[in-house]
Amino acid sequence: MDWNAFLAFTRGPLFYASLLIFIAGMVYRLVQVAMLGWDKDQSVARGSKAGGVVKSFLKGILILPFIPWIKGAFQKRPIMYIAGGLFHLGLFTVIFLGTPHMLVWKSLLGFGWPTLALPFVDWLAVAAIIGMLVLIVYRRTDAVLRLLSGPAEYLNWLFVFLPMISGYIMTHHLFFRYEVAYSLHMLSVDWMLIWIPFSRISHFMFYFFSRTIRGVEWGKRAVTP
Amino acid sequence: MQAETAINLFVKKTGGWVASQLEACTRCGLCATACHYYEATGKPEFAPVWKVELLRRAYEQRFTLVGKAKVAMGIEKPISDDDIKEWSVYDFHGCSMCNKCSFVCPMGIDIASLIGAVRAGITAAGEAPAGLVKKTEVQLATGSPNGATREDYAAWFARTSKEMGKELPVDKKGAHTLLLLTNLEIAGFPNNLVAIAKILDAAKIDWTLSLEARDAFNMGTIIGNGKAMKQLADKVYNTAVDLGVKRVLVSCCGHGYTTLRDKLPNVMGKPLPFEVQHIAELMGVLVRDGKIKLQEGYFANGHTYTFHDSCKIQRAGGIMDEPRLVLRQLAGDSFHEMLPNRKEAICCGGGGGLRAIPEAYDIRMAAFGLKVDQIKKAGADTVVTTCSNCRLQFKEGFEHYKLDTQVTGLAELMSQAIVE
Repeated sequence: MDWNAFLAFTRGPLFYASLLIFIAGMVYRLVQVAMLGWDKDQSVARGSKAGGVVKSFLKGILILPFIPWIKGAFQKRPIMYIAGGLFHLGLFTVIFLGTPHMLVWKSLLGFGWPTLALPFVDWLAVAAIIGMLVLIVYRRTDAVLRLLSGPAEYLNWLFVFLPMISGYIMTHHLFFRYEVAYSLHMLSVDWMLIWIPFSRISHFMFYFFSRTIRGVEWGKRAVTP
Repeated sequence: MQAETAINLFVKKTGGWVASQLEACTRCGLCATACHYYEATGKPEFAPVWKVELLRRAYEQRFTLVGKAKVAMGIEKPISDDDIKEWSVYDFHGCSMCNKCSFVCPMGIDIASLIGAVRAGITAAGEAPAGLVKKTEVQLATGSPNGATREDYAAWFARTSKEMGKELPVDKKGAHTLLLLTNLEIAGFPNNLVAIAKILDAAKIDWTLSLEARDAFNMGTIIGNGKAMKQLADKVYNTAVDLGVKRVLVSCCGHGYTTLRDKLPNVMGKPLPFEVQHIAELMGVLVRDGKIKLQEGYFANGHTYTFHDSCKIQRAGGIMDEPRLVLRQLAGDSFHEMLPNRKEAICCGGGGGLRAIPEAYDIRMAAFGLKVDQIKKAGADTVVTTCSNCRLQFKEGFEHYKLDTQVTGLAELMSQAIVE
């Protein structure tokens, strides 16, 4: 098999096709939800809705991920907070602040940005991978998570895990020839992009909806969301 | 078919507001940590996210490609009549709609309102607990869920007038404030009326009672029957408009307050021509603005007090500072906080209609155990609350656990300490 040609295909036409499906799929999801209709709230506000939205995002982006132990819930399920937090931190660092990924963004957007040194990104990638492994064990052993998990949840985990582990293998030249590892990484990324609009991995988009709704609803009541 | 009725209602309830929140859920299970029924029973089915599962399935199977594919491939089944029966237990016996879970959710999903939609579907399908169905019918027929009639209220008002040595205003046109009581007070603590009357008189508020709109309770809200909710709330609305009042003051009922304040304007499709306020807020405002002076430390008498935040008045109503302001003046250092408190307070376990479901007695008492721990840790011998339903749950709970801890209402404490 000509791995170089396959690599060119997975990072070329297949990647762009997957990206297109990803974007079209997410737009479809967005429109589908938006078209269901939004009622106007007629009740009188005790507090500021806009202020509530700001607080909702500050809490969602700054407080819960970085200082989770202020919540009583942290003591009851620290694994979910720590492993889930490390996974997201590692994921975002690698995708946005790893040099090779920034270059992909640059080719798509036309501009780039400063990135972090490889060892730093590398350690966070390891943290994310370990986080994912911990999360899957937790999902299989915890009674609540077992109840909540069906095939979709396990497939979501797998299709996110494959790009991460293949990326790590490729960066460290483990097990496979470079172009083979690279091809497998690209193939798993392409498949993940296609999969996201059909799965709950799309929560990153609806996060902005739920946090905004929360801010409006609780800001209205003068309660910190 | 029952399931079909429920699904139709779920579909009707699913606007962008509901759909985008269902889509945001990552099924992380963190909401379970906040649920006192899950804590008390350890049953994973009582995790808040699982209580929303029916609505999620209905939404995905009706509106999304993935949901349709899941059914086609046999990964997921359409909602069945048995599912409706099963979830009736999770959503009615094991949820007081307290919404503490929503504060734990990393995505910020307003879980209780989604559970409210599930309750509505189950009720439409005829599988709501018999106790709640009965109380709804009784309230629609008589005006109060416990069957208290116009005559019962009239007798209560007359009794109280005699006791106070002055005629209480009833259906007085042009009064500024309409005071709305509940059947729980007639049955459990009729003195709350004396207390509130004293407070309103001391603040020189022009107020009235009504024999038309008598009960703030709204079984329609609790059971999730929109038509019944509107019918009961309409009674209050029409009376308030007829009397021309500027404010409807709710004496103690938590869900009655949020129904009138948040739900009714949306059912009517327009803002209300009067303000809806809870006495818990008014008491604090009167003291803060100097309209009423209290004898400071009146209750610093060797007892130790703690304040119970109820889910509808404090968490969902935002009225957390006002009652504390009053209690701090009354009890000073003898007022101890429970932990966690305010918007993260643990529910008493008796809300959401649970007190009217005999089958849920064990679970609601098990959940109350968490409250008992909190009270013990706070070192309190008296619990103060502004919600009548919580108050009855505390009373029954203390009897169940054989404790001599007391529970009382904030208005009753405040009315004793007013400086004329």
